[in-house]
Amino acid sequence: MAAPFTRVYRPLWRIITTTTLNKGVRNVSSTRQQWSAQNVKTAGVASPWALHGAVCLQRLPVVSQDRSPIEDEFMELMHQMELERSLLSDHELRLLEDAARMSRKQEEESDEEEEDYRDKDIFTAQDLEDIWEQKLKQYQPAQRSQGVDEKGVSSSERCLAESLILLVKKDVGSQKLWLLPQIQWQTGETLRQTAERALASLPGADLKATFLGNAPCGFYKYKYPKDIQKEGSVGAKVFFFKALLSGHKHLPLEKNSFAWVKKDELQDFLKPEYLKQVRRFIMAL
Amino acid sequence: MAGIVCRTASQIISSQASCSSVLAVRHSHWFTSVLSLKTSIPLRAEPKKKKKVDPRREIMMKERLKKKLKRLEKVPPELIPIEDFITPAKCFDETRIRDAPKLSFEESERRALLLKEWSRYKYSQHQTEMDTIEEALEAQRQALDELKLESEELYKAAVSSDMDLFPFQREGPSYTPPITNYEAPEGKYNNITRVYTQ
Repeated sequence: MAAPFTRVYRPLWRIITTTTLNKGVRNVSSTRQQWSAQNVKTAGVASPWALHGAVCLQRLPVVSQDRSPIEDEFMELMHQMELERSLLSDHELRLLEDAARMSRKQEEESDEEEEDYRDKDIFTAQDLEDIWEQKLKQYQPAQRSQGVDEKGVSSSERCLAESLILLVKKDVGSQKLWLLPQIQWQTGETLRQTAERALASLPGADLKATFLGNAPCGFYKYKYPKDIQKEGSVGAKVFFFKALLSGHKHLPLEKNSFAWVKKDELQDFLKPEYLKQVRRFIMAL
Repeated sequence: MAGIVCRTASQIISSQASCSSVLAVRHSHWFTSVLSLKTSIPLRAEPKKKKKVDPRREIMMKERLKKKLKRLEKVPPELIPIEDFITPAKCFDETRIRDAPKLSFEESERRALLLKEWSRYKYSQHQTEMDTIEEALEAQRQALDELKLESEELYKAAVSSDMDLFPFQREGPSYTPPITNYEAPEGKYNNITRVYTQ
């Protein structure tokens, strides 16, 4: 009883504010809990779709396309018109002068010696042209077209004038299907990282690519067959990300599991529903 | 006769005296020669009467120079000529005009029809390009909608801009494919571009 104990006498306004504050905090925390619970619930509700990230790896054309017949004709016409409307160039003037000089020489042979003294140029314009042609012939460029399917479908040096897409053969359930490389999404990573992982995890392939942006370019959703469908999972959603193949080093890939395919050849490899979605974002112009 | 002799003698003596006086004067620095210009040290050593005015004069000189510099700076700098806009004199040379060939009626008809065909071809090409782009954009939009339904976080990550993408560089297609292990020959060139300074 004699033990003194200090009571903290707080002024009235402080008591009121603290109590209200406490109440406020409690309210906020409760709402937060509710919201997080809701979030968990929504996540739980939305999870029947398993998320997959896939990569649409494109090898862009290395060589320009061949001209169509009308393009050929038009190019000829343009060259012709340009030539008609142009002025004579230095080289052409020189050609004309040389021709005139030659004709004069043949007619008046007495002026030969004087001409030789005046002649400073050793080469005539025609000689120069011949020299240039010789030099051009010395350079051997690489072949444009490699022939019809000389290389197998698994080589990325295939059709150099068109863009190719990488396909991978994968077991899905009981079947072996040709797909764009995909892998399941793990918590804690963005879908783009999933796509990058999908590319990196391809066995035996050292492919370097630049991904174009963080956003997916397309998606495909499918439902599992009924015997596999559990309570939580209805099906899967695959989000595709575009990437361009960078670097020239192409190691040969396994024939049976990899394929570099043009847009028109896709229908030979992909299932119709899958193809329908994939075709939308692959641009072969 | 004797007078003339006397005069000449006196002249000689005087000249000799002056020479001697010159020689004598050189020993002392206070007196310069009479023959030379009158820049005597006593004159040079005169105290300058314009002491106060001189600094003012210098200040005035400096101000004048500054004004001149300002006037020069105010003048707008000469414009650098755009060499593309100046037609070179070679183009006005009359000897260079080609003889215009006369086109036959069939040829001109063929050309006109080909141009029209080309415009139709280009139009259809443009339409297909636009359609392809529209479809790709639509596919992307739908994919983003689906992703939004899935999770907000992933949607936000997808919609955020990619910092590493730009500046984006890529070599386009060439006429022939690159030769493996090709060593390009070294070439020399003379750079004759005109550099203008303002």
